[in-house]
Amino acid sequence: MIDAYIGLLVLWPVAAGLASLGLRGQAARSALVLGTAAVLAAAAVGLATQAPFTASPAFLASATALHVAQGASFLFPAYFLFVGLKEKHALVIGFALLQLGLAAFGEFGLPAPAVVKTAVVCDGLSLALVLVVSLVGTLISVFALPYMRHHEEHQGFKTSRQPQFFMILLAFLGFMNGLALTNDLHVFSAFYEATTLCSFLLIGHDRTDEAKKSGLRALWMNSMGGVFLHAGILLIQKQHGLADIQALVDPALWAGLSLLPLALLGLAACVKAAQLPFQAWLLGAMVAPTPVSALLHSSTMVKVGVFLCLRLAPVLEGTTTGRLLTLAGAFTFLGASALALGQSNAKKILAYSTAANLGLIIACAGIGTPVAIAAGVVLMVVHAATKGLLFLCVGDMEQAIGSRDLEDLRGMIAKTPVTALAAAAGSMAMILPPLGMLAGKWATLEAANASPMSMVMMAVGSALAVVCWVRFTGTLMSGVAVAATPAPTSSLSTGPILTLLAGTVGLGMAAPWLNAMLLPAWQAFMLPDGWALLPPLFLTAMLAWILGMKVLGRQSAAKLATPYLGGLPSAAPGSFVGALGRNWTLSEGNEYATELFGEAKLTRIAGVLASVLLLALVGGALL
Amino acid sequence: MFGSFLKTSQVKSPWLLHFDCGSCNGCDIETLACLTPVYDVERFGIINVGNPRHADVLVVTGTVNPRNAVVLKNLYDQMPTPKLVIAVGACGCSGGVFREAPNVLGGIDKVIPVDVYVPGCPAKPEAIMDAVVTGLAKLKGILEASK
Amino acid sequence: MNLNTLYLAVAGLVLGPLLGGLAAGVDRVVTARLQSRLGPPLLQPFYDVGKLWSKVIAPASHWQGMFVRWALVASLASDVILAAGGDILMCFFVQAASASFVALGAFCGNSPYGKLGAQRELFQLLAYEPVFMVAILCLAKAAGGFDAFSIMAAQGQPLLFKLPLIVPGLLFAVLVKLRKSPFDIAASHHMHQEVVRGVYTDYAGRDFALLEVAHWADVTVVLWICSFLWATGPLQMLITGLAFLFAALLIDNISARLTWRTMLKTVAPLTLILATANLVWLYLE
Repeated sequence: MIDAYIGLLVLWPVAAGLASLGLRGQAARSALVLGTAAVLAAAAVGLATQAPFTASPAFLASATALHVAQGASFLFPAYFLFVGLKEKHALVIGFALLQLGLAAFGEFGLPAPAVVKTAVVCDGLSLALVLVVSLVGTLISVFALPYMRHHEEHQGFKTSRQPQFFMILLAFLGFMNGLALTNDLHVFSAFYEATTLCSFLLIGHDRTDEAKKSGLRALWMNSMGGVFLHAGILLIQKQHGLADIQALVDPALWAGLSLLPLALLGLAACVKAAQLPFQAWLLGAMVAPTPVSALLHSSTMVKVGVFLCLRLAPVLEGTTTGRLLTLAGAFTFLGASALALGQSNAKKILAYSTAANLGLIIACAGIGTPVAIAAGVVLMVVHAATKGLLFLCVGDMEQAIGSRDLEDLRGMIAKTPVTALAAAAGSMAMILPPLGMLAGKWATLEAANASPMSMVMMAVGSALAVVCWVRFTGTLMSGVAVAATPAPTSSLSTGPILTLLAGTVGLGMAAPWLNAMLLPAWQAFMLPDGWALLPPLFLTAMLAWILGMKVLGRQSAAKLATPYLGGLPSAAPGSFVGALGRNWTLSEGNEYATELFGEAKLTRIAGVLASVLLLALVGGALL
Repeated sequence: MFGSFLKTSQVKSPWLLHFDCGSCNGCDIETLACLTPVYDVERFGIINVGNPRHADVLVVTGTVNPRNAVVLKNLYDQMPTPKLVIAVGACGCSGGVFREAPNVLGGIDKVIPVDVYVPGCPAKPEAIMDAVVTGLAKLKGILEASK
Repeated sequence: MNLNTLYLAVAGLVLGPLLGGLAAGVDRVVTARLQSRLGPPLLQPFYDVGKLWSKVIAPASHWQGMFVRWALVASLASDVILAAGGDILMCFFVQAASASFVALGAFCGNSPYGKLGAQRELFQLLAYEPVFMVAILCLAKAAGGFDAFSIMAAQGQPLLFKLPLIVPGLLFAVLVKLRKSPFDIAASHHMHQEVVRGVYTDYAGRDFALLEVAHWADVTVVLWICSFLWATGPLQMLITGLAFLFAALLIDNISARLTWRTMLKTVAPLTLILATANLVWLYLE
């Protein structure tokens, strides 16, 4: 049964992707994607009922599978090299050659590692990522159906590229599931490279100059991550002769030894998770269509990095490498949150916020205590749902008005009420107690009590995030609410958005129990210390919700007061009758304080400081 | 008990909105003098708020002309009910010496209903305070009548 | 959760706003005396809220009442958490949520003064939240736990002697929360009117009355956390809280308002660096 679930989760999406290549019709494609969504959701839930477990399904454990993984470690870099040569991009070529070199060395220069006995290990962490991919990822794929149709109309593509798009999108889901479940480092790295490839192809989907440039940037940076990953794997192969991840994360194995391989793996994770100073590829990736941004660059692919760090966390506990990783993660949380404040491009705000929250999760991993890891996993899951929701909403609103600037999104509550309200709810879910994101931040702050500087950075980052999201919500709900006919939306857009909204709130409220389930000593429905504060807070929040809705109902029916403009009359909303008896327009704009949070200056400073921290991470492990 | 507390509060916390229509500022200086330590209207709970949405008492000085009539009406309308209007100074009561000027419409009561008139040119701070207290007594009467 | 906690929670719920209102009254009277005036009666803030309660006025936006109720519940919840001995970091986050709701309601309004106030309110949050959080982290580190009871169970020596450098930060937070010069930037407290009423411009009538009550609850929480610096007994805590209040009033009466840029570029980083230094020192010794 378990093998069937795993097969469905990993192989079905790849097969469905290939099938999508042959489908030209919208209805058939919708059926395929919806069918895949149902299958993946069911299989993930089925897997959850069996967890935790270990398994060795044939397609992942057999010799053929291992040969495929080994071949992949050559094939992917070879393809990247081909792309680099075609585009004459030095960095892509360079890193591809390095990867090929490392793969050759690993294959021919080192003795083969011990055979991995259990191909699949499914514990709380793997299950969390599988559920995120199979539930959030599939909802995003469903949203992509009407979105890509409109997108292609707007872009004016002569022939539809949707078959290729959905092939890569669906196959990617399978690769992510495989990555989450595998226990073999080589298979993991094969899937890692596969996600790099998917990201490159999807970012460049629109084939504009900017898209191509961004795609190549993502490719070389993630290839660099791949180099770190392979280097780390080879060091492990040389030092311990192991490729079994479960055996690897035993602290006893590393007693007295240099943690350099793990530092390199951590570095690879930081690149994948777009941590400072590697955030440039994520920012560039925002040129891709919204489902790509939502799926790869907020909910799933970037989670590979934090997943890897959380997997290594038990070994990092109490070590210098762990402490430095915590500092690096906390610094990204601070720096990326500050960068988000100076942005008016809505997708870039979301991208910086994603990098920031991933930094927070990596900080959890660096702390390494069971409490911190549990907080990190909860953050990972809740963030995936919330950020996915926000990206979908921003994409929907962008399609409605043709702009992604926050200033243009002012007052969207009048034009696209459902989406704008969902976006407002999502952004408040990022910062409000007692929901999951805030609970995770709170737990992390208290778990970080060994590292005062990390705590201070988290505190400042938290304040920056509050300002960012309150401003975002306020802008959506502000402006002149002209009585407009709301833009029409398809149910395949609204459905995923509303489901994700329900998921965000639901997961946010379930966070204490999710956290408790992830801790080693879990008794049914008992909450660990401190978290017991949250259920009464939920009740209070629900009472407040009911009270608020009652008042909203009453005030919605009331006639609004005229705006106070120093006593001047207002002939039409958004204007006032001022000097010369003329109508003067009232214009409104957010203060981005670019002298403090301007992207160029801040990126340079933050990049330098982050590089120092990461150099210390690797250097410290070397010495 | 809570109800009687609410009723007492209505007259123990008059928040002023001061608006100068077309005054020479003489009455305005006297009005603002009430806020100084010599007269100290805060003893009565009076605060000078600048926001009509928070104000109970509109204290107006100066003559009304077509330009400021619009603003005066808007400020009056944006105040919550129950509200009081106090016309301060000869100009506010009837237009004063400027009554027959071409652009002057007259006193405040040409635009909004006035509750208390304070004569004087300028009106004395004591008279202004007395006007507020008289207005509050009127308000109390209105409240008791309406219950 | 036992019955004792429930009693404490109810006490916090009821007494929090009342004590805050009294503090507001003390504020008005002492300010007046500093200005050689007599000032209003001590219970004036209660009369103000009572008056606002019965005012009838159209709302400035459909969402305003909702945000006010949420802000009130959040402020009261932060009081209850503190009274029942809960986690003071979570108490802070809940109070920050209340401030967020107030700003959001102002964003939704229709007056440019309100929206300007909302933008400034965001920068005020950005300025005082980090240093207040670090001060709480210092308190927790010095006392050995995040819950209010372990901090109040002071062992002989008051925490002030271990945490001298967080006093500027706490004072900054008190000034911002009480909306006192030089940080009366977002709401230009009565008589200043620089941005009319800033973030409070669009709130009126019963909504504004409820916001005042929420403000009282906030004031109680902030002064209570300040009083943790000398928590050897209830009287000492009261005196410490009042000391911070009087210091804030004094500074209010002798200073002019700063711009938000100065607050964000100079005051916030300075107080944060001092508080961080204190935190690091606590770890080093």
